[in-house]
Amino acid sequence: MRYLPYVLKHLRASWIRTGSTVLAMAVCIFLFVTLQTFLAAIDAGLESASDRRLVTRNAVSLVFNLPLWYGERIRSVPGVRGVAYASWFGGVYQDPKNFFPNFAIDAERYLAMYPEYRIPTDQLRAFLRDRRGAVVGRDLAERFGWKIGDVFQLESNIPPYRVGGPLQFVVRAVYDADLDRDPGTNLGLMFFHWRYLYEATGRTVSPGSFVELIDDPSRAGEISDAIDALFANSVAQTRTETEGAFRAGFVAQIGPLAYLLNAIGLAVTFTILLVTANTMSMAVRERRREIAVLKTIGFPSGLVMGLILAESFVLGALGAGTGILLGRWVVAVLPGLPVIGDIMRAFSTRGVDPLITVVAFALGVSIAVAAGFVPAVLAYRLRTAELLRHA
Amino acid sequence: MNAVEVRNVRKIYRRETEEIVVLDGLDLDVPEGEFVALMGPSGSGKTTLLNLVAGIDVPTSGSVVVGGTDLTDLSESGLARWRSRNVGFVFQFYNLIPVLTALENVELPLLLSALSRSERRERARTALEIVGLGDRERHYPRQLSGGEEQRVAIARAVVTDPIVLVADEPTGDLDARSAAEVLDLMEVLNRDLLKTIVMVTHDPRAAERAHVQRHLEKGVLTNG
Repeated sequence: MRYLPYVLKHLRASWIRTGSTVLAMAVCIFLFVTLQTFLAAIDAGLESASDRRLVTRNAVSLVFNLPLWYGERIRSVPGVRGVAYASWFGGVYQDPKNFFPNFAIDAERYLAMYPEYRIPTDQLRAFLRDRRGAVVGRDLAERFGWKIGDVFQLESNIPPYRVGGPLQFVVRAVYDADLDRDPGTNLGLMFFHWRYLYEATGRTVSPGSFVELIDDPSRAGEISDAIDALFANSVAQTRTETEGAFRAGFVAQIGPLAYLLNAIGLAVTFTILLVTANTMSMAVRERRREIAVLKTIGFPSGLVMGLILAESFVLGALGAGTGILLGRWVVAVLPGLPVIGDIMRAFSTRGVDPLITVVAFALGVSIAVAAGFVPAVLAYRLRTAELLRHA
Repeated sequence: MNAVEVRNVRKIYRRETEEIVVLDGLDLDVPEGEFVALMGPSGSGKTTLLNLVAGIDVPTSGSVVVGGTDLTDLSESGLARWRSRNVGFVFQFYNLIPVLTALENVELPLLLSALSRSERRERARTALEIVGLGDRERHYPRQLSGGEEQRVAIARAVVTDPIVLVADEPTGDLDARSAAEVLDLMEVLNRDLLKTIVMVTHDPRAAERAHVQRHLEKGVLTNG
């Protein structure tokens, strides 16, 4: 600690260079924090998928629905314990920027398959009794300030579900989750009765997908094949897969983006390494005379090297700290932004994971220390007499 | 008793295949409390001899004993540790650390000691008082004149209470008046604090302040 003022004074003396290096480092760490948080949110969403649930959809595309009667046929497949259906409603609340995922569901059977959605019994009863009833996640309720009994309207942007005006809903239940046990559970969803949609559209629509609960996860592939075989010669052929694979299909659409962002992050990290290395090289080159003086008055070479590495460490710590704070702030405000906020909410991000914070700090400090290592070794190796002669 | 004993010292620099003999079998004794001026033309080996006495460099052969310690027996880290306790340095261009105040510059060698911060500060203030700059402790080198910078450098050199003070052209970058002040100060350190001083200089007026003048010519001491 006795050398810390010496280290800090040097950083402060060349504050423009220090500031720009810290800023560059902060940008690097900020990118790392936000990107990793985004990817972690995606991973959490995938991990929350149950391996005891299968999803059956139209083999051609998700935009094509399946006949309602498929449910009874699927129920007859050995190993299937329960079947429910659902439709992506695509409802807009007041303005498109208020996006949140909303589904019409085969309520009683569907919710029974998702025990991670914890709904108070009295609220569940109230929801099941009310045709216009809605179940909303805790985050969604907090976002719009909804309370039990509140009424709101959604208007779908999907043609078959457009009925000449918005549908009206009443908040009858708010679901929560044990995030320690089910960490990826999305608390930003809204569910309502599929029958309400069916009747509102003049009984013309059919389910978008079926969800099956199976006895034995190890037989998921076999059961999926059996379900798809049932409709192999139908007009609407099906594709059945585990819930995890189904969600991964969505994620695959943004997979290239993740790769791209990772590649950019790597390039930025490498650039910051060079920037910091340059900063430290300049610092050592400019201070050859000073290094000569330190060594002359008795500072051991190891201590001189340590002082230079300490400067690098402080640069890294300041940059990483700034980047982490910036990242945490951006992750906190992202869900409120248009477009990107929709994505973040869909993946139910719960802020920056402490592990990401620790790794980001370690990364920043490691980059800085690595960048300072070569200049520090050069300072270590310089012989005092030569330094005095050439300084 | 001698503070410095240099015996049959040779110093040879190798530049590719060429060997340059800088010091050639040189002997030098400096008694305790002596003030010696080393003079000679450029390239005569004055600074090399000073570096050997200060433990900054090692001879190719021969021995250098300072304060009873044979410096040729010490490793590089051992020499660094020895320098921090036994030698004070005064350079031609002062070599103060620009980002540190006068007080912090003087305190710098004490960072290597076991003293507490308050003890270090107290000693540094005392050293600044000795050189007459007690009121300039918060000033940075850029806020001081050349003469004042050199006096701060002298305070830094004596703050560890070293056996020997080595000075390489201490007045070489100063005007006549500042040079005289610095030399007055060195005389005080030698006379009142009994510091042994080895000073390299080109300046005859500076050399006159020393008790003994030695001349170097092509790596050999030519007169006493």
